[in-house]
Amino acid sequence: MKILLVEDDATTIDYVVKGFTEQGHNIETASDGHQGLLLATSMQYDLIILDRMLPQLDGLKVLAALRATGNQTPVLILSALSHVDERVKGLRAGGDDYMTKPFAFSELLVRAEKLMQRGNSTPAHTELAVGNLVMELLTRKVTLAGHEILLQPKEFQLLKYLMEHPNQVISRTLLFEAVWDYHFDPRTNVIDVHIAKLRRKFEELGFGELIETVRGAGYRLRQGH
Amino acid sequence: MTLIIGTLLFGMYRQLINEQDLQTNQHLAAEKQRYQQMALTLDRRSFATQIRTADPKTALVVWRSSLDLVGALSLMPDDMPILPETREFPILAGGADKLHILTGGLVITRYGPVLIATRTDQLATLIERFVNAAITALMLTIVLTLALGYLFSKAILRRLVQYNRLSRRIEKGEYSTRLPVSWRQDEFDMLAGKFNGVLDTLENNLNAVRGATDNIAHDLRTPLSHLRMGIEQLPNKSADELGEACAILTEELDDCLATFDAMLSLTRIEEGQQILELQPLSLQAMCSDLYEMADAMAELNEQTLSLQTADDYTVMGDKYLLFQALFNLVDNAIKYAGQGASVQIVQRGNQVQIIDNGPGIPPEATEKVFDRLVRLDPSRHHKGTGLGLSLVKAILQRHNARITLSDNQPGLIVTIEFS
Repeated sequence: MKILLVEDDATTIDYVVKGFTEQGHNIETASDGHQGLLLATSMQYDLIILDRMLPQLDGLKVLAALRATGNQTPVLILSALSHVDERVKGLRAGGDDYMTKPFAFSELLVRAEKLMQRGNSTPAHTELAVGNLVMELLTRKVTLAGHEILLQPKEFQLLKYLMEHPNQVISRTLLFEAVWDYHFDPRTNVIDVHIAKLRRKFEELGFGELIETVRGAGYRLRQGH
Repeated sequence: MTLIIGTLLFGMYRQLINEQDLQTNQHLAAEKQRYQQMALTLDRRSFATQIRTADPKTALVVWRSSLDLVGALSLMPDDMPILPETREFPILAGGADKLHILTGGLVITRYGPVLIATRTDQLATLIERFVNAAITALMLTIVLTLALGYLFSKAILRRLVQYNRLSRRIEKGEYSTRLPVSWRQDEFDMLAGKFNGVLDTLENNLNAVRGATDNIAHDLRTPLSHLRMGIEQLPNKSADELGEACAILTEELDDCLATFDAMLSLTRIEEGQQILELQPLSLQAMCSDLYEMADAMAELNEQTLSLQTADDYTVMGDKYLLFQALFNLVDNAIKYAGQGASVQIVQRGNQVQIIDNGPGIPPEATEKVFDRLVRLDPSRHHKGTGLGLSLVKAILQRHNARITLSDNQPGLIVTIEFS
């Protein structure tokens, strides 16, 4: 996939470019607003990662100009401004997602891939399967190695998100947003306790290690064990 | 003051003059009529006699008969106007130094013109004296006013100079300095009182900031020094340990960042810089979301979390902020109520209560807990920024909601009332 990164901070550029290149994506960079807008309008990208504060042309202005030309490329806004109203401003200006600095690359990757998939309009799944874990989305039935597991609605949503991104580290913030329609950093173990309940249900069937805790980052659903 | 007295005196003077003119004119008019009558009824000789014997106290009358002047005066000035027009003229009477001022006019009779005059110099003297007295009084008033004004302004200046001197001391950092307030309770005392009030608030805030700075230093120093030690040890780690060690450092760093973020957003919310995204919110729905989110956390602490709702109420609020505030309160209850406690979320109309039966907080701390970076647990055993309740209070204030803490004997009742 082809990604454009509009960002002026060299450290962030290195960090993001390295990460996406390792994942096999093709990433180009622009270090100011004008250049970013020029590239975004003249080339075809699957995703634009746009810093909020840029020299020459503010990120939100770049976004507004881009949308004004009818360009509908998904845009992920990066910003050091973490306040809710900044987030709302960014999304209102036509952004598709918003992330605050500092961020973990794993979270950026998940968000970026989600946005890029949306453009491809993959057919809706009716079933998710990771290893011997199977989730039927219509009947909301979950089986592990053939045994049915009864899940609470929130546990179901958590597991669904993890199964949609197998083998990927999913941050607590991502899980929180996926399950609850509230955007704030709860700074507590709310996600951990829900994961713990889920994990206990797996443990009863002898698959306790299916959900792995990644310290300092989040959780990962293992594909093969 | 001087102006008022001046105007008054001038008015009196004008009235006096008018009165005098009026009286003289009336008097002369009466005399004129009398002599006209006499000229008509008496013969020339009797007329002369009448004039000669006229009482000088009533009027001075002079008639120029064919040869000489008859009457009280030894001369008859030229160009005298005919009554009722009058003119003032001086004459010498008695001694050489006795100059009198007369006012008078001519009456034309069939025996020729007769001059009727009356003395006005006494009145003129009176007026002159009055004017002198008035001027003296006026001068005195001016002098007195100036003197009083000078003394008064000197007193004011002295106080201003004092205020200035004290302000300079405050400027130099002596924040405990206060302006003196006298028994007079005048405008200056009111000003000094207000000024002292502002100083009290400033001093309190300053102390709070100092306390907060100490707390920040304590809160951030510890994780930062952990980080420093951790980074120092990284090169000695084996490849297996490296990932885990980095992850631990990342977690520590995230905690520092979270503290900064919380401080920034607290300031923004408190100062009203953050724009609220207002939308109608159901308290009942929020409380069930709260319950759903926190139930597993309570379970982990072997606590029971329960939810009671009645009479849904709609508030206009910022969904994320308001929920964050409510969540912080429930999170606190779960964190501090201890194992086996029960925590209740109760929503009744516009009121939400979070009730626990844990150890509660000492009554003297009920206000302090809302201060920035205050933690009742000095060991900082529990993870947290110490900004939670300040943030809760700021968010609720922006939503016109009131938060009160009360004793559940044992435990804590947090009551939030929307209006």
